[in-house]
Amino acid sequence: MTAALKIQGLTKKFEGFALDKVSFRVPSGSIVGLIGENGAGKTTTINAALGLIKKDSGEIEILGENVEHLTPSIKEEIGAVFDASNFSEELTPEKLDKVLKDIYTSWDQDLFRQLLDRLEIPFSRKIKTFSKGMKMKLSLAAALSHHPKLLILDEATSGLDPVMRDDILDMFLDFVQEEDHAILVSSHITSDLEKVADYIVFIHKGKIIFSKPKDELLEDYGIIKCGDEQFKALDREDWIACRRQDYEWQVLTSDRKKAEKKYPKALVMPATIDEIMLLYVKGEQE
Amino acid sequence: MKGLIRNNFYAMEGNMGISFIVAAFLAIMPVFLKNSSFIPIILAIQIFIFVVNTGTSLHADTTAKWNKYERILPVKSSEPILAKYISFVILILLGVAMSLLTLFCAAAAGIILNLADLAAGYGYGLTLSGISIGIMYPVMLKTGTDKNELILIFSAFGSVGIRLGTAFVLSPWTEGMNLQHPLVNILSALAALVIFAGSYFASLGIYRHKEFY
Repeated sequence: MTAALKIQGLTKKFEGFALDKVSFRVPSGSIVGLIGENGAGKTTTINAALGLIKKDSGEIEILGENVEHLTPSIKEEIGAVFDASNFSEELTPEKLDKVLKDIYTSWDQDLFRQLLDRLEIPFSRKIKTFSKGMKMKLSLAAALSHHPKLLILDEATSGLDPVMRDDILDMFLDFVQEEDHAILVSSHITSDLEKVADYIVFIHKGKIIFSKPKDELLEDYGIIKCGDEQFKALDREDWIACRRQDYEWQVLTSDRKKAEKKYPKALVMPATIDEIMLLYVKGEQE
Repeated sequence: MKGLIRNNFYAMEGNMGISFIVAAFLAIMPVFLKNSSFIPIILAIQIFIFVVNTGTSLHADTTAKWNKYERILPVKSSEPILAKYISFVILILLGVAMSLLTLFCAAAAGIILNLADLAAGYGYGLTLSGISIGIMYPVMLKTGTDKNELILIFSAFGSVGIRLGTAFVLSPWTEGMNLQHPLVNILSALAALVIFAGSYFASLGIYRHKEFY
């Protein structure tokens, strides 16, 4: 399977924070969810992937081209939404349409208007009067209206109500129906990613903890719920992280079925992505 | 390129409206003042007034993260900067266009203008605008737009300083330090042109190395 985005050994150091050899792929025809707590390095990774910041080392390829030498024709095939409005506040969607029509050769005015209608964005109101959610929807409409092959979205569903989020997730699924289309979406709303993502990449303190197919993750990972004595009886190799919650221990395992067989007295539950992230971030690993 | 320039002007639209009102008000001043000595000052202000608002607009663009978005648009890396400088030139030309209205009003009021006054007005307006933008834009690109008003004021002071410096250097040939002398006007305008052109290349260098978070 070809990769729409390939990141290999990406390193970028800042004062007090570093992306440390970040590697993952966004295969064509798939949605990859990038998860992690605030400050974990999601936005920095996305900025580096788009060539907006200079990397210290590593390789980044977008649609087969090195990110440092992206030509306008490759950029034409990339749509991006950042965690805010990206457009001058004095503009209206109508004026934005005129601006982007003069920039993208493949700009589709009809599609842009259809998307604005579908997302209930007024065409001739100034962007500065929009709510955060409306600005996000406008950015998304703009990102889709030049028929990109790769969408890179940084917290694109934040600030939207659940109904609108669901609508947008459907748009993502429609988008990847084309086998040469792909989406990288960062989000801290992991329930959204559970619905649509094919792969989950978990970044924590600038390091990739795992990059796995979502189904494998939800099928294999589990939470062992047990008391003190049962917890002490668990083999260290059977768990990844644990935390004490009121009177019980919650223990993350990457092999739920094995845990069920090995510890029949313990309650072993399937883990949600949220729980996996929470235990990695807040749990003890020693 | 056309889209980038279009965006620059849409973003400045609100501020430009104010500039047009001020420039139009200044244009009709000769009718009331009936005095030719004010004309060069009016011409210089009219040319500069459109440039003044660019700082606020650049700040608004940065706040909206348009600069970051601009970087992923399918254009060559030099085009956003070139589009900015073309927009600056258009703004200066708009100021020049408004100054013609002043000349029309002055003529209608029966004020007779001499060539030296006109040269002083246009020379100073173009010098002030060219040097101010030439200093202001690369500085804002490098340091950010939070202190845009302060940077604009210092840039304007810089342009006055360059004009004074030119007058001082030329003083042996201009019967002392003479700011109104045609030679001072010509050399100041040339200095503005050189600084403006140099500023483009400096901005391009800064932009190519800039990181957008």
